[in-house]
Amino acid sequence: MYPGRTSKGGLAMNQEDLLSGWMEEYVRGEASVETMDRLEKEIQNDPTFREEFLDYLNVDLGLSLQAASTFSEESSLVEFSAPKRRVSRRTWIGAAAAGLALLLTGVVVIQNQRSFATVTKRIGSGGLETGTKLKGERFELDRGIVEMQTKLGARIVIEAPASFQFESVGRLRLFHGRIAANVPEAAQGFSVLTTKGTAIDLGTEFGVDVRPDGESEIHVFEGEVIAESKDGVRQNLQGGEAFSLNSETGLSRELRSSAFVRPDELSLFHLENADGMRGQSDQMLTELRSDPALITLLDFETDNELPPGRYRMVQGRWPGLRAPEFVEVGDHMKLDVGGDRDWSELTLAAWVRLDRLGAPYQSLLHTDGWSMNNPGQVHWMVTRHTTMRLALSANTLATGSIEKEGYPDSKTPVLPAKGRWVHLATVYNSKEGSVRFYLNGEFDSDSHQEVAHPARLGPAEIGNWDRQDRKLSGRIDELIILGRSMSDAELRNLYEVGNPYKREGNS
Amino acid sequence: MISCMTSLDDSRHESFLRLFTKTEPALRGFVRSLVPTVSDADDVLQEVAITLWKKFSEFSGDAEEDFRRWSFGVAKFKVLSWQRDRGRDRLVFGDETITLLAHDSESNSGKLSAQREALKVCVEKLPPEQQTLVESAYENGSKIEGLAKAMERTAMSVYKQLHRIRIALAKCTRAELQKEGWQ
Repeated sequence: MYPGRTSKGGLAMNQEDLLSGWMEEYVRGEASVETMDRLEKEIQNDPTFREEFLDYLNVDLGLSLQAASTFSEESSLVEFSAPKRRVSRRTWIGAAAAGLALLLTGVVVIQNQRSFATVTKRIGSGGLETGTKLKGERFELDRGIVEMQTKLGARIVIEAPASFQFESVGRLRLFHGRIAANVPEAAQGFSVLTTKGTAIDLGTEFGVDVRPDGESEIHVFEGEVIAESKDGVRQNLQGGEAFSLNSETGLSRELRSSAFVRPDELSLFHLENADGMRGQSDQMLTELRSDPALITLLDFETDNELPPGRYRMVQGRWPGLRAPEFVEVGDHMKLDVGGDRDWSELTLAAWVRLDRLGAPYQSLLHTDGWSMNNPGQVHWMVTRHTTMRLALSANTLATGSIEKEGYPDSKTPVLPAKGRWVHLATVYNSKEGSVRFYLNGEFDSDSHQEVAHPARLGPAEIGNWDRQDRKLSGRIDELIILGRSMSDAELRNLYEVGNPYKREGNS
Repeated sequence: MISCMTSLDDSRHESFLRLFTKTEPALRGFVRSLVPTVSDADDVLQEVAITLWKKFSEFSGDAEEDFRRWSFGVAKFKVLSWQRDRGRDRLVFGDETITLLAHDSESNSGKLSAQREALKVCVEKLPPEQQTLVESAYENGSKIEGLAKAMERTAMSVYKQLHRIRIALAKCTRAELQKEGWQ
């Protein structure tokens, strides 16, 4: 145990063990009379032991200083209302000269405060650089997504726009924005503070969404979280549950997993070349805009081109760009395009990020005029089986079709288990009576129509239907309506240049 | 508060804070080497800080080294009187041992500071579960008994493991210091 001793002093091994044990008792504050006598004798007679003894005490001090700075003050500014004879150990250690300064001024700014977390990943330009140490200052995140790791190992993803501040290694104040936290055992108790209340982790993965008006929701993906309202009322939330802190008692909400970018998703995004990838995507969209068959292309980036309706603009699938999000019952977006004529061919495509547990039907595009007396009205949606459906009013399936509900459906469920971005597309050809479905650029299946009317558009809703709630639960981006069939190659290309994830990650 | 302070007070206060803040880590290491536990060291250090400020007008030097020597002297005196007070109800070392330790600690104070720095590197080299144990055990206010209960172990086995970790860390820091050229 003491390499120097055996050679020099020739002490027997058990003597070393004894000495070592005495040091332990001493530091625990429980040394016996006998132990103290022996320690004193060794300290006085053996300079080498004295050195080892001092080293050992110094390590003990070093560890407690490290712990104190990890669990340091709740704020960088410590106020002492009145001089205290005795301050707590933590305050004393954390505050360097504070114990003294309180005698003098009452207020001391702690210098050299340790950081609480480090930026480990960043998507999109601007914002916080990877490696940035986060201390107690407030940060405004305007663009992109940032992942941080706290000193205790909690992983936290924050999506722009957001404003936040660490108050300690275990407390994060979220003024507005969205965060998802993955909290290992060592960091249990990690809390997110909002103006409406606090989410206290009990070992879990959860998200907190604070809207600009302060409304706050807690979503628990796994494990358990305590939701504590401002007036101290506590409620335990289990995995799969969500809770709004707004009203005095709080309200249960539907879990919206698509609303949060979680740490495991972040590693799938293009980190290095997000801007380059977006350039390719933009070029593709520019070409499409000059396509004579284009009916509409919505990328939701220009304010005065945003369709009317009720929805929230949030981060799109490229960091820094935007997408509409549909959350509340009745949220929708109005559109009125292509109503002047029949469309014998039609391609519909969009990037979506949807909750699996949405309403039975989640509308992608529903024309208002749906009726059996009004053939060709278009309803494009995700069904309760999470398959994609393209229904045209007064069309019928060909004999022998496998669909059970009377409408063309994709063969494969199109929503991943976690709310991630997927590219959905369908191509309709009334002359051939065919409906083809594509998931992430790959042809999935086709369906045949016995009766196939040309498609009719006109007044419609994205994300809902004007007649009954078919709210889409999540975000939609880059919606394309094209009055011709896109080929397999075109759709694969559309997906590839528009895919925000690394290729291998999006399986 | 500010209004009742003269500008002389201000500048004296400022120079005291500057010197004290600089010296505090070494002083803390010094005091810690003379008493059994870290929290004993906290208690003594508070007394030392108060005395230093009260007697700052008697301090004639202005260099850090002067202040350091002066504060170590005050600290040693405080430890000895703390030992005498404590000695009635708890076991403490005698004056002779304290003097010996104080001498070694003071003459090695730079090295001890460097050792506490090196400790960070060494802690990161520990297996994760040992890091967590150390963090939990040294976290403010944590009681080993409570920690042991949560871990479904006896307090003694946790004490012993912490001891082994400290021994390993001491060894590691010695190696780190050697790399940096300390003797």
